[in-house]
Amino acid sequence: MHSPVEQFTIKVLYSLTFLGYDISFTNSSLFMVLAVLVSSAFLYFAMRPASIIPGKVQCLAEMMYEFVANILDSNVGKEGKPYFPFIFTLFLFILFSNLLGLIPYSYTVTSQIVVTFAMAFTIFIGVTLIGLFKHGLHFFSFFVPEGAPKVLLPLIILIEVISYLIRPVSLSVRLFANMLAGHTMLKVFAGLAVMMTGAGGFLLVSSPLPLLVIVALTGLELLVAMLQAYVFTILTCMYLNDALHLH
Amino acid sequence: MSIIEKTAILEAKAEIGMSQIMNKNYQVYFGFIFFNLYAQKALAAGDKSDSSGGLPQLDISTWPTQLFWLLITFSIGYIIISTLVVPSISTVLENRSDKISSDVQKAKNANENAKKAFSSYEASLTEARTQAANTLANAVNEAKSDTAKREAALDKKLATNAKKAEESLAEVRKETLSSLEELSTEISQKIISDLTPVKVTKSVVKKHVSLHAKLQN
Repeated sequence: MHSPVEQFTIKVLYSLTFLGYDISFTNSSLFMVLAVLVSSAFLYFAMRPASIIPGKVQCLAEMMYEFVANILDSNVGKEGKPYFPFIFTLFLFILFSNLLGLIPYSYTVTSQIVVTFAMAFTIFIGVTLIGLFKHGLHFFSFFVPEGAPKVLLPLIILIEVISYLIRPVSLSVRLFANMLAGHTMLKVFAGLAVMMTGAGGFLLVSSPLPLLVIVALTGLELLVAMLQAYVFTILTCMYLNDALHLH
Repeated sequence: MSIIEKTAILEAKAEIGMSQIMNKNYQVYFGFIFFNLYAQKALAAGDKSDSSGGLPQLDISTWPTQLFWLLITFSIGYIIISTLVVPSISTVLENRSDKISSDVQKAKNANENAKKAFSSYEASLTEARTQAANTLANAVNEAKSDTAKREAALDKKLATNAKKAEESLAEVRKETLSSLEELSTEISQKIISDLTPVKVTKSVVKKHVSLHAKLQN
């Protein structure tokens, strides 16, 4: 029997090496390409009519745009506008990776901790640099809360710094763990159905039950896929707001 | 149709519906079982049972390729979305908001124009009213003055007529008086000559008569 986590195995589709590093085109790479292609092609062709009164598909594309624009506007404000294309790309990449991963036999890019951590760490570095460029050394006042008693200051600063440094970890692990858990659970119930079929008798008769659970769980996973894309985006916006406005 | 018959028909219908639903459920149920059996056979045939264990995510050897392709695909996605997708959506949204605000402006202008037209209509209406009142007053005044003039002319004419009449009356009276004197003189002379033997001249009688008439008057 296959292990429930075997679905996450990276399979090489085309071998490549660069400066001694293995950069083969894998199933994960394929779905990254698909996520980018499907999301941008969908939006591009949905906006093709460019009509003042939108049709159904154009309305959907505009809703996605306005959804992210509203998140950015309500969390960062006007100063966040230059970062909108990045935030929108991030949202679309995660959303379409999660959604494409729900299709049976496909691969979930965001279930790889290295992918989510790379995104979260890049955001962390980028946001810190933005803060440093905007405020200079004054940026470090971010770690000193106003009105804190002076005796407790060393401890508070330590806690603030740790909580700041832990941000990329929490951001990446949240998405990775959600995807991992959801897909593993689906596989566990599928494996259960197959095992019950093999046992025969009463278990064979009741083996459709785990399949029904899978149907329900797929609905839940659809929600999780969208919710996690939203959470990742909104947290990125909040971090960006912290860097631009320092509390 | 009695209530019992109605309920019987309803029950029969419900039974047919239920059996249809049950039939469909059985189909799905058996579909699931056959699916499971097929999956089990397929898995048993291709079972490699590699129980190497551990999460594939923690296999460090796969990390460089994933990082590399993440960088490539995300960068390309960023370029496509920032140059093609975002401008196309934002122009449509801007055009829409422009269109809406221009339409609102147009409606405001039309409203203002209507208000202006109404106020100018009201102004012209009041003007026409005052003009009409003025014309009426003028006409009344003219008529009054005309009447007064005519009355004055008539009064004058009447006065002259009256004067003339008075004059002619006085003349007639004078004439009558003078002729009366003469007549009285003649009558007196006649009476004297007839009744007395005295012969009086006309001038003496006339003198007495006129004296008498003066005394009488």
